[in-house]
Amino acid sequence: MVPEVDLSKTYDAVVVGSGAAGGMAAHVLTSHGLKVLLLEAGKKLNIEQELRSMEWPYDNAYRGNLPPDQHSLSFNEYTIRRPPYGPGFEKAKQLHSYIGDSDYTKNIVVEERDNPYSGTNYAWVRARCLGGKTNIWGRLALRLSDYDFKAKSRDGFGEDWPISYSDIAPYYDKVDLYLGITGVKENLDYLPDSIFQRPTKLNCAEVTLKQSLQKMGRVLTQYRAGVTSDGLKHNKYRSRCYGRGACERKGGCDIHAAFDSPTGLIYPAMDTGNLTLRPNSTVREITVDPDTGKASGVHFIDSQTMKDYKVRARVVVVAASTLESARLLLLSKSRQYPNGIGNSSGHVGHNFCEHVMGPGIAGRVKDLVGKPPTLDDGRPGGFYLTRFRNLKEKHAKFIRGYGFEGSSGSAMFPRGTQVPGFGAAFKEEVRKNQGAFIGMGAFGEVLARYENHVDLDPVLKDKWGIPSLRFHYKFGDNEHKMCEDMKETAKEMFEEAGFEIIYVSDRILTEGWSIHELGTSRMGNDPKTSVLNQFEQSHDVKNLFVVDGSAFVSASCQNPTWSIMALCWRSCDYLADELKKGNL
Amino acid sequence: MAPENPIDLRLDRRQWLKTSATMVGASLLPPAAVEALPQAEPKAAAPPAAARAAASAGHFFTPAQHAMVDELTETIIPADSHSGGAKAAKVADTIDRHLSETYNESERSLWREGLRLLDSMSQHYNGKSFVEASPADRIAVLSVLAENSRMDDLPEVKFFNALKEATVEGYYTSKIGIHDELEYKGNRILKEYVGCDDQDAAKT
Repeated sequence: MVPEVDLSKTYDAVVVGSGAAGGMAAHVLTSHGLKVLLLEAGKKLNIEQELRSMEWPYDNAYRGNLPPDQHSLSFNEYTIRRPPYGPGFEKAKQLHSYIGDSDYTKNIVVEERDNPYSGTNYAWVRARCLGGKTNIWGRLALRLSDYDFKAKSRDGFGEDWPISYSDIAPYYDKVDLYLGITGVKENLDYLPDSIFQRPTKLNCAEVTLKQSLQKMGRVLTQYRAGVTSDGLKHNKYRSRCYGRGACERKGGCDIHAAFDSPTGLIYPAMDTGNLTLRPNSTVREITVDPDTGKASGVHFIDSQTMKDYKVRARVVVVAASTLESARLLLLSKSRQYPNGIGNSSGHVGHNFCEHVMGPGIAGRVKDLVGKPPTLDDGRPGGFYLTRFRNLKEKHAKFIRGYGFEGSSGSAMFPRGTQVPGFGAAFKEEVRKNQGAFIGMGAFGEVLARYENHVDLDPVLKDKWGIPSLRFHYKFGDNEHKMCEDMKETAKEMFEEAGFEIIYVSDRILTEGWSIHELGTSRMGNDPKTSVLNQFEQSHDVKNLFVVDGSAFVSASCQNPTWSIMALCWRSCDYLADELKKGNL
Repeated sequence: MAPENPIDLRLDRRQWLKTSATMVGASLLPPAAVEALPQAEPKAAAPPAAARAAASAGHFFTPAQHAMVDELTETIIPADSHSGGAKAAKVADTIDRHLSETYNESERSLWREGLRLLDSMSQHYNGKSFVEASPADRIAVLSVLAENSRMDDLPEVKFFNALKEATVEGYYTSKIGIHDELEYKGNRILKEYVGCDDQDAAKT
């Protein structure tokens, strides 16, 4: 049962979405004493029950896999089928995006058929539940630098951000200290350090690679994880990391050492007495005051009862995730805003970008074959190999850069079961090699291009009768050339380290696979070519803010969650200040 | 992988695959396209009534099929001096559960048809059913399929690949697989992650 909240009063702010951005908005705004209503489209799950981080596979009816009466989409299905979740799965009781392929993630991601979309291929991962995708995120927490914020000034493509690193650095610090992050200082100007808690160590294969890379002038560092390794005295909902070792399995952290929005941000915000939470609230429109042209609140549907509600607020803060936020702005059409609220520029839904992934490598470290088993996965992540392209030198074939995420050593499920054959020799081969593998995959910047965009499908509607999103989005030439380079450099680096290369993959995964969608309502100084100003405030509607990945001007190649939260914190400080001054 | 192989199957194997291909009709699609189409396999006949009844009771395999899957999985991952094999790890039970609950009827037909074809292969090579054949004879039959694992337009090859995958999945997620065979050290509360001993030396 949803506890009924007071919808008759006017809140200071209504926040749409409860993931990294919505949680951060709730935290910052309530800390300024504002009365906030947080709306989440999905349920409040009993999350510890879902995640069960220490459950042994043999204690699970399906060995941790998705129950066989359900289905999660594969690369092949995303490639061939239109839409990917269309005919062929009628008998599957639930149908999930690719990430919902385990018993621990299946209830966190949406039922695809209730949430249809159209247009070009896209592996769209949506988590409608309290905390959204932060419940199962990969935890790599990286900063952006002026190489990213001022990328246009360096190579001429796209737009510079309206901010510099010095504007956002203090807010990265706040996020680090409030949420906890583990890593090692490297003093890199293109990947600034955080305020790190106790780092985890590299294992032997990783040290070998790191040393070899040093000779090439490249940097391998410990996975910078949004995980508290020392604990957080100010947060009673989160434990420190105990290196239990289930982190490689898809799914979250049931002791919340890894950041998630509910325990990291929302529960502490509720403790201030200033936050009201209403799950099961699918927002379908931002309402407008016809006299002032300002946002007056939101119109939402109870996701379960299908009843309609309206609620009033002095400020509307949209944090529904990059694509859902664009959809909501486009849905909010009125006499004043016939193309959708905040869209006088026509840029809402455009300049959509993300990270391209797929190319990667797996190798074997011969010295480790046949060694006694070691514990290699008792930590929140393996390693991060930082960007090295287009920093000092200019690459002839593509602009921007990419980094690699990787890991090595023993895991609960052995790597290297793909060897041919069977029988006693196969079994011994798997056993002897289990700790000897090392692998990594690249994440590269997808250029923000105007033509890559989403709009509303004129016909298709979701389960709640709300028009669906239509994709017009493809990787371009720069991404394809970058992916060729990823494959070559991966090979070169493993060869240099003396690893035996098992396979090199140049397969580019479906658009959307990185779950790092960004940039549909970009920030900028010019209201004609951007949707938001540097404080993620609508150029058109002063009391409307979009505080999630939508605001990104370019994708960079760094994982975005930490930057989304730092930007959101900065914007919400500004929002609270402006509201107090009576400027909104 | 070079299993002890008492008979030279090279000639015979080619004959077998040729015959089998003629029987079921070779796919006209190139291998990559077959791989990409999850439902591209030929439609199997409706399951016999007994199998349907067993499936509804929560058990897909008949007792005879279960016994055969026990021996098949054990041939894929056998007991050795280090640890127990797939039979001791009850891998057949996990496969049975999966097949009795899957929404995917084509997966069920693959196993039904695969078990039937494999037994007929065993009769052809060894003059005995798979269960009655000696361990060496069993290895000989599975080797034909393992060494031609890319010819997966044939249901028996596709079946072997699925069998191997399911055995690997079931075995290495079992108690025997995780603790006895791999001696996995994780999934426990750690004071400190040890990492590489040479780490500090590596830094300087």
